[in-house]
Amino acid sequence: MSEKKVYQCEDSLEGILTAVYDAWSSRNGHGNNEIRILSGDYQGNMELFTEYIIVKNSEEKISKVIKAVYEKISSEAYELICSAACSCEQSRGDDIYRFLIVGFSVGREIVDQLHNKYVMRIFELTRNVSNEAHHLKGFLRFQEIEEGILVAKIAPKNDVIRILAPHFSDRLCQENFIIYDENRNTAIVHGESKAWFYTDSSMLDVDRIKNISEREESIDIMWKAFFQTISIKERENKNLQRNNLPIRFRSNMTEFE
Amino acid sequence: MVIQENMTVQKKLEILSDAAKYDVACTSSGVDRKGSGSGIGNSVACGICHTFSADGRCISLLKILLTNECIFDCKYCMNRASNDVLRATFSPEEICNLTIEFYRRNYIEGLFLSAGVLKSPDYTMEQMLKTLRMLREEYHFNGYIHCKAVPGADPVIVEMTGWYADRMSVNLELPTADSLKMLAPNKTRKNILKPMKQIQIGRLENKGMPVFNRIPFSEEDGYDTGRYLTTAAKAQTTSDIVLPDISDIVTADPSGSSFGLIKPPSVNRGFVPAGQSTQMIIGATPESDYQIISVAEALYQKFDLKRVFYSAYISINDDSNLPALTQGPPLLREHRLYQADWLLRFYGFQASELLSENRPNFNTLMDPKCNWALGHLEQFPVEVNKADYYTLLRIPGVGVKSAQRIVRARKSANLTFEDLKKIGVVLKRALYFITCNGRMMYPVKIEENYITSMLLQVKEKLPLGIEAASAYKQLSLFDNADFTSANADFRSLSQDNFLSGLGG
Ligand code: SF4
Repeated sequence: MSEKKVYQCEDSLEGILTAVYDAWSSRNGHGNNEIRILSGDYQGNMELFTEYIIVKNSEEKISKVIKAVYEKISSEAYELICSAACSCEQSRGDDIYRFLIVGFSVGREIVDQLHNKYVMRIFELTRNVSNEAHHLKGFLRFQEIEEGILVAKIAPKNDVIRILAPHFSDRLCQENFIIYDENRNTAIVHGESKAWFYTDSSMLDVDRIKNISEREESIDIMWKAFFQTISIKERENKNLQRNNLPIRFRSNMTEFE
Repeated sequence: MVIQENMTVQKKLEILSDAAKYDVACTSSGVDRKGSGSGIGNSVACGICHTFSADGRCISLLKILLTNECIFDCKYCMNRASNDVLRATFSPEEICNLTIEFYRRNYIEGLFLSAGVLKSPDYTMEQMLKTLRMLREEYHFNGYIHCKAVPGADPVIVEMTGWYADRMSVNLELPTADSLKMLAPNKTRKNILKPMKQIQIGRLENKGMPVFNRIPFSEEDGYDTGRYLTTAAKAQTTSDIVLPDISDIVTADPSGSSFGLIKPPSVNRGFVPAGQSTQMIIGATPESDYQIISVAEALYQKFDLKRVFYSAYISINDDSNLPALTQGPPLLREHRLYQADWLLRFYGFQASELLSENRPNFNTLMDPKCNWALGHLEQFPVEVNKADYYTLLRIPGVGVKSAQRIVRARKSANLTFEDLKKIGVVLKRALYFITCNGRMMYPVKIEENYITSMLLQVKEKLPLGIEAASAYKQLSLFDNADFTSANADFRSLSQDNFLSGLGG
C-alpha cells in the first residue's frame, strides 16, 4: 500500500512547480499526493502515516514542467497557473497540481471543461486574483512624498503587485513611484522612464515614505471635498457603497481617512 | 446672480462638482489606449472605478462643470438662470491642474467636463474646447476625457472638441419633444439631435466609412457614397412604426449635420473614439416605460450610441410643471429600465418584445426578462445542450457569462443540471424553462400563474437599498392572486408601498 505524501514547498510559482515535478515523478499515485505551501506559521495538520517532504526549488524541474505545460496543454493554461499561484488560497499549490493532472490527460481542451471541479477551481482562483487586481487599479492611492516621489501602500489578499506594475508603469511612465504591499513586505519600484522592478522592502526606508510633500495636503483636501459633494443625498445608500467598495480597501484610501 | 470674487479653487470645486453630480455617466470605458511613453496617462477599455460615493455610485472621473452660470432655464435644474445659487467658473488652467494632480494620485481615470450655458452656447463650447486642448497639448494628458456638447453650439467647435475627447454626450434630457418643450424651453430636440448626428457621422468617417446619403468630406477621398450602409440606414424597427412622438429620433437625417469642417490636431487619437452617450430624466414627465425604451432603442440604432443613461428624477426646484415627489426618486423604475436596456444591448431583445401599448410599463415585482419569459411560455422549455446562444440568453437565470460558458462547456460533454449549477446558472429560476438531455429538473407544470408565483418566491437580487423588502412582505397578501393579468393594476396599486422603501 502506498502511503500518503505531502510535498511542502516554498510560497512561489517556482516552489509549486518544483513540487508538481516531485509529486509527479514519485509514482506514488496522484491520489496519495498532496502539495502544501509553507508560508508563515501555517503548517497544516500533521497526520499519522504521512510522509512530509520538503521540496527544494530546482531550475531544471521548473523548466521541465513549464515546457510540458506549453507542449502538452497550452500557453493559456500556463497563464492560468501563473495567476492562480498569486492567489491567497492555502490550497493553491494542490489546486494547480490537480489542474495539471487533468490538463496532461486532455490537453488544450482543458480550458473548456468548465464542469470539471479542478478546472473550475483554477478559474475561481484566477478570477479572484484578477478581480482584486482590477479593484486595486482603481482603489490604490498614491501620495506624493518629498522630491515628488509617489508612494502607494496596499494590503491585498492576493499577491497582485506584479500584476499592477505594468499598468501603472504605462500610465505614469514619467513618474518615480513605489507600490508597497504591507502584508508581504514587497514592493514595486518604478523610476522615471525606466523599467519597474520587484523587491522586498528591506530596500525601502519605510519611514521616509511618511514624509508627504507640502502640496500633498491641499490636494488631499480637495479630493475629499470632491468625494463628499459628488454624492447625491436623495440617493444615499451606504450598503451599496459598502458592497461596491469593501471596507478592507479603505484603510489605504485618502477619502476614507 | 451671486458671484464671489477671488474664490479658491477648492470652493469652486465644491460648487462645480455639486452642480455636476446629477449627471449619471461616470464611466471611463470604451477605449484602450497605451501610454504615450511621454506625458501622462492611458485608458482601459473596460473602465475602472476609483471609488464609490455615499450613494453607492462609481466615481471614475473628475466630474465637474466648467461653470454653473447659465442663461437657460430648464425647470428641473439647480443651475437654471432663475435660481439664486452661488455661481463659479473654472479657468481652463485650473481644470487642467486638478485633473493632472488627481490623476497622478490615481484618484481618477480622467475628466468629465460639462457646463451651464455661459453667455452663449458658442462661448461655452469654446471654453470647453480650450480646456481639452490645453490638457492634451500642453499637459500631455493621455487619460480619459468625457465632454458634453452644448446644444446649439457651432458645429466647428463641436467637431474640434471631438478630436480631443474620448467620449462626448449630448443629453436628450427628456424622452419626448413635448416634455422637452415643457421643461426645457430653451432647448429643442433639433438642437440636441443635430450634434448627436454630427458626432455619429464623424465617428464613422473617422473609421473610413462615409455615411450613407452624405457627400464625402474631401475630394481626394472620393468614396463611393452609399456603398457602406450604416446603422442609420438599417431596416425599420418597431419604434419606427409604433410611436409617432419619437419620430424625430427615428427619422433623423444626416444631411443636416456636418463633419470635416476642420483638420484634426497633430496628435490624432481618433474622433470621439469611445463613442457617445446620452441621458434622460425618468419620472418627471408622463412617458411610459415602453416609450422610454423605444427611445433608447431608436438612439442605439439610429445614432450608434454607446450608452443611454436613465436618471431617476430628483426634485430640486418647485415648479408647477414638475411632479411633486413625496417618495424620493423612482429608483426601482430606473433599475428596471437599466435591466431592459441591458436586454436591448446584449441579449438581442427588441423594445416591442418587452412591452407594448397595451402593457406599457414593467412589472415592479419582476425583472423584465422573467416578465418576458412568462408571457412567452410557448417558447419553453429550451434544451440547454442544443439551443443556440441567443436562445440560451432568453432563459431566466442564464446571463451572458453563463450562456457563454454553456456554449464552451458543452463542446466536450453533455451538460447535466449539476454542471449548469457549477457554471453559474441560477437553477431556482431556470428550472421552469429548461431541459437537460430532454428532461426537466423536476416535473413542473408550465403554466403562467404557477411559475409566476414560484418565481416571486425566489428573491430577486436587487441593488442594495432598492431591496423592496416591503414588496416581499406585501406578496403574502396576494398569495393566490393572478399576478400576470394584474400586472398593470398591481403596479399602480403597490408602487407607493415599494417606493417608500427606496431612498428618500
Ligand atoms: S442648460 Fe438647462 S440643464 Fe444645463 S445647466 Fe443650464 S439650466 Fe441646467
